[in-house]
Amino acid sequence: MGDGNRGLSANSNSNSNHGGSNKPEWLQQYDLIGKIGEGTYGLVFLARTKTPNNRGKSIAIKKFKQSKDGDGVSPTAIREIMLLREISHDNVVKLVNVHINHSDMSLYLAFDYAEHDLYEIIRHHRDKVNHAINQYTVKSLLWQLLNGLNYLHSNWIIHRDLKPSNILVMGDGEEQGVVKIADFGLARIYQAPLKSLSENGVVVTIWYRAPELLLGAKHYTSAVDMWAVGCIFAELLTLKPLFQGAEVKATPNPFQLDQLDKIFKVLGHPTLEKWPTLSNLPHWQQDQQHIQGHKYDNTALYSVVHLSPKSPAYDLLSKMLEYDPRKRITAAQALEHEYFRIEPLPGRNALMASQGEKAVNYLTRPVDTTTDFEGTTSLQPSQPVSSGNAGSMSGAHVGNRSMPRPLLNMQRMQPSQGLTAYNLATQAGMGGGMNPGGIPMQRGVGQAHHQQQLRRKDPGMGMTGYPPQQKSRRF
Amino acid sequence: MASNFWTSSHYKQLLDQEDVDVVLPLDKEKGITLEDFKLIKMHMANYISKVAQLVKVRQRVVATAVTYMRRVYTRKTMSEYDPRLVAPTCLYLASKAEESTVQAKLLVFYIKKLYSDEKYRYEIKDILEMEMKILEALNYYLVIYHPYRSLSQLLQDTGLNDITLTQVTWGIVNDTYKMDLALVHPPHLIALACIYIASVLREKDTTAWFEELRVDMNVVKNISMEILDFYENHRMITEERYNAALNKLPSRV
Repeated sequence: MGDGNRGLSANSNSNSNHGGSNKPEWLQQYDLIGKIGEGTYGLVFLARTKTPNNRGKSIAIKKFKQSKDGDGVSPTAIREIMLLREISHDNVVKLVNVHINHSDMSLYLAFDYAEHDLYEIIRHHRDKVNHAINQYTVKSLLWQLLNGLNYLHSNWIIHRDLKPSNILVMGDGEEQGVVKIADFGLARIYQAPLKSLSENGVVVTIWYRAPELLLGAKHYTSAVDMWAVGCIFAELLTLKPLFQGAEVKATPNPFQLDQLDKIFKVLGHPTLEKWPTLSNLPHWQQDQQHIQGHKYDNTALYSVVHLSPKSPAYDLLSKMLEYDPRKRITAAQALEHEYFRIEPLPGRNALMASQGEKAVNYLTRPVDTTTDFEGTTSLQPSQPVSSGNAGSMSGAHVGNRSMPRPLLNMQRMQPSQGLTAYNLATQAGMGGGMNPGGIPMQRGVGQAHHQQQLRRKDPGMGMTGYPPQQKSRRF
Repeated sequence: MASNFWTSSHYKQLLDQEDVDVVLPLDKEKGITLEDFKLIKMHMANYISKVAQLVKVRQRVVATAVTYMRRVYTRKTMSEYDPRLVAPTCLYLASKAEESTVQAKLLVFYIKKLYSDEKYRYEIKDILEMEMKILEALNYYLVIYHPYRSLSQLLQDTGLNDITLTQVTWGIVNDTYKMDLALVHPPHLIALACIYIASVLREKDTTAWFEELRVDMNVVKNISMEILDFYENHRMITEERYNAALNKLPSRV
């Protein structure tokens, strides 16, 4: 992140806001368009910069509420800021600014805005266009997701909450079709953690949760992210969540038998032979009868995802969904997999139309233009959100959903040199990105099963009080 | 980031000693000398450590908190950012960053227990407001590397296997937070300097081991000298001396 003082420097004048309805000074650099998301942590807004050198650039602003229990900035926000301030990668969201409103003690993270996410892309194909995502797009999305994850893992960061709505994809512009991993509120540096990770509360949306977590593993690894990637890969192929278990909502950290059962149904039961450390996992010991209740022996994964068992795609997927976390493929290994070396080759613009096909016009995010930064709904008449016309206000690009997007005139990359070239660009952490602060975006259409994804586990805020303090004073 | 110090914000923000030893104009006007400035920071490092013991957080949290506090005073004045509020607030923020969150009300409770003096009395609201000001002052860079991480590994590598040496070294590392070393030197060099001093004290010959390390021994020795100077000069600091320095500051900002 540059020389340390660049980038986030223009925010020290926020003291000048003396409460009330006065706009804080830092807000003057944005045109607020509206609210695009909501979660337990607070709200996400779409805004555009007014500063001369970046005029009109779309920014997603994530507002963290002051925590209700009177304990200042939420630990979730602190963790997200501390991680995002250190990392820089083409396939990771870019934090462009942090703002503080001293009058109401709220904190704002400004990100480059990304128009799409995998949740919406999958939903669009399933509900609107009714056909599969093309192979080039699936492969490009997956490769970039792995590329970002490999960067995180090699920097000892586990994301812990990967799911389609946290994988963003850039809309029109120089970075069109580039994947951005978002939402680091649950991410952790896993070198020398002060506290076993599972102590921090329930982690990872249940459908994408790795079997070792479901079985009560205390010390887990970056392999949990790879399991989630496997689930996301399958969902990109079939447009349906792979393991759609019903969540048990008791607290804290209940045993999720139904989720395990969904996994066993497709992958068969894990065995001590294939996964020797299985016997150490608490729930495997305690709930063996429940777990072994149903017998599933036939591995049906390839038929569920409609892949030939001999295809490279299936081979890669099955390696991501390996039961034993120590044997599960790593992000670095996955990037080297044969699947990415055969046609169609992955590219930087995942949304580019393949030859002879029309580009898919994904919808832009619905924007609620009636909500201001305080989160209060204005009384002025405005367009209803669900109409899809919310963007008719100044500068918003929400109204153009039927217009074909201009495609970047980029060639698909050639086999060997292609990936290398891409890598170079990626390592250099080319700036100019844009992506929202992730977190569940508000969905235009409310459907019952969306609720599953909109909810977000936030141990720092959702629960009463903070986790118990450390007893030990040792290092 | 976490794996590579050389690409971290911590590395990029290391300063020269001359830039750390600057008393800002507003503090100078109040009569704060460089010596006062250093003493107050040392006193506040002790303060953080005392509160940390009461609320039971690990040394790593203390180390992060002290580093935050020292960084704040490379950019902000003590006249505007009262050290008696900044110190506990840095501990509060560090406890969140290091995953062992301490409640503000608990801090306030123990501060009152520790100091009867009015000037130390701050309420929850003050801590929460200062937390945001500190976040700004730190420019939102919160990841701090410490010598502890490399210490066990290095000690093991020396092959000395001497428990007393280990304990002495850890003690010296803890004491380095009474100085500004963490703002100036990479943590592994501070760790090496501490091992160097401890091995001399324990009369263990580590010359060969140090020679095999690919580090600039001059830097390690210079850091060692700084630490020894510090021990020499700060043995006899009295509470009165701290208070005299602190009393130059306005009591409520």
